[in-house]
Amino acid sequence: MHKTLSLLKCAIKSAQGDLRQTISAIKNSNINISTKIVSTFDAEMEIPYFLLQNRVEDSQKSIYKELKDIVSKIVVDLDKDDREKTALLVGTSLVDMNIVDVVNDSVYEYKRTPYYSSKKSIDSYAKDLVDEFGLNGFSMSVSTACTSSVNALLEASNLIQSGAFKYVVVLGVDIFSEMMSNGFSSMKLLSLGVQKPFDISRDGLVLGEAIAGILVGTESSSWVLKGGYSNCNSANITSVSASGEEYADVMQKAMHISNTNIGDITALKAHATSTPTNDMSEINAIKQLFDKDFRFTAIKPYIGHTLGACGILELAIFMSCVDDGFIPKTINHQDSIIDKYTPISEHLECKDGTFMLNYFGFGGNNTSIIIKKELV
Amino acid sequence: MKLYIKATSTYLSDEELDIKKELKQRYKLDTRRQDSFIHLAVLGAQRLKDITDIKKDDELYLTSGVGNIDVIQRINRSVYEEKQFIKPFDFINTLGNTTSYYVATSLGIKGKNIFQISDNFTYINSLISIYSSLSMSKKEAIFGCVDLVSEPDEILKRVLGISENCELVSGVNYQKLSVNNEDSISEIEFDTKFYTLDEIKEILKDSDKEIFSSFRCSEIDAKKESKFFETELSYVINKRVESKKDMIYIDCFNGRYKILRLKSLR
Repeated sequence: MHKTLSLLKCAIKSAQGDLRQTISAIKNSNINISTKIVSTFDAEMEIPYFLLQNRVEDSQKSIYKELKDIVSKIVVDLDKDDREKTALLVGTSLVDMNIVDVVNDSVYEYKRTPYYSSKKSIDSYAKDLVDEFGLNGFSMSVSTACTSSVNALLEASNLIQSGAFKYVVVLGVDIFSEMMSNGFSSMKLLSLGVQKPFDISRDGLVLGEAIAGILVGTESSSWVLKGGYSNCNSANITSVSASGEEYADVMQKAMHISNTNIGDITALKAHATSTPTNDMSEINAIKQLFDKDFRFTAIKPYIGHTLGACGILELAIFMSCVDDGFIPKTINHQDSIIDKYTPISEHLECKDGTFMLNYFGFGGNNTSIIIKKELV
Repeated sequence: MKLYIKATSTYLSDEELDIKKELKQRYKLDTRRQDSFIHLAVLGAQRLKDITDIKKDDELYLTSGVGNIDVIQRINRSVYEEKQFIKPFDFINTLGNTTSYYVATSLGIKGKNIFQISDNFTYINSLISIYSSLSMSKKEAIFGCVDLVSEPDEILKRVLGISENCELVSGVNYQKLSVNNEDSISEIEFDTKFYTLDEIKEILKDSDKEIFSSFRCSEIDAKKESKFFETELSYVINKRVESKKDMIYIDCFNGRYKILRLKSLR
């Protein structure tokens, strides 16, 4: 017997601010975007970048401080007993900066430090947060590229369904990394302008920083996770077929596993990276499953592509928009890749419903989840 | 919580082997664009495939003590020291799930695929995740543990929290796991509970099973492996499964202990 998984409490930091500020920015289309210098094949280049308003340094200490702030907001209502029954999962695509630090400390003579040894991994944020907030000692960091934190959410669902834990805190984190932006630049996936989801003139993604968290449990809540499906199915390591059959497959399986029919879906939050190949595959997948009147939208033009954090960040933003009475319009879209399959161009009044959220990543990881809000 | 082992595979770097050559010649696999960490992970997977059926929708879980240090070291040098751009495939290889992708592709798996690391009990915590997932999906899981010693090994020693003179070894160990005991060869039992040292000593006092422990558990009188890698528990389990023997394994971090019990079903 499956328990109903409730999405209980969330907190975020995006380039537009905290959750309230981000929803306000989306509602008023008042978008704050910065720039960063990255190295390219030829020279240094200034690229648009959705940076957090209060700078988070590319260091363990700075990231940890921000994560601590998010977790403190999420677990504030949990008493000591409940915290001991709470696991913590992190989804991130961040390169492990512990290793970078240690490489610098031990490989280059001019940077060398005396030998020290301290168990560290990419999960060290989670382990330290567990200790800080008195949570159960179970921590885990999931690293499946852009599906990292949504996959952590599905893992959290399993941990609760199996009775292993009463609650799980799921975090998504990705902040500016020289390696990451340099890597995307080398793959020629970055736009020098704005993200144009599903538009014929789309030319790439704009990276973004974010820290987001959600508390999952079984007590009554207006938002529930009906289910989801995650798999590894692609044409190659960076993309699926242009036909989008792999995306359509994971979307269908997500509906099947959550006992949801196509007609039940009120709207879809697309992954919509605004890259030529990903958007083509996703729009084709949408066309395979839904008719042309189907409503779908993209959130990345407001906050950037926040990579491993986008799972929880976009979930929290989407839920909060609906709580505020609307589904956000897709900005920067003019001419659709496929005639008549157009993302919504105006904020759509919506207070409840069943929604599909798509997330796709490098390494063949595709994930689709179904959430539902019922008015109390 | 109980999981049943259906098959295991093991490789330690003590065994003289040109892994890349083995993958190309014996397994006819394309090794281009991959690095040593990925090759190690794929080798272990192929050895498992040699002895058991892998289904398309088997769930794949990979874990590691710290992940792919080699590629981070290489990129670190490119970006910060040489001020060069990153090669696209080096960039892709920094992502944890790139290794999972190549493993899944080599096994023909198209289902769930998770790369995850826990800073403390990465093996046992992964078992808890797998148990929870299989309890819901009723599928089987392929669980791989990969640890590569890169040069200089001082990097790994500093990251693992071990002494400078500890001897390290690279290892890849796989288990095929199920919540169903049919055709299984061993049973592993574990839970989410943490124990104190006193509680552990009390439990071990009455045990008639052989006791093994991680080298971190210096206060426990138990057998320990002479060479270390973070996921050595997977190796110890595979060895005991092969010899059809039971055991109790104790691991610890920061004064908190975990127990895993292995029971042979053959």
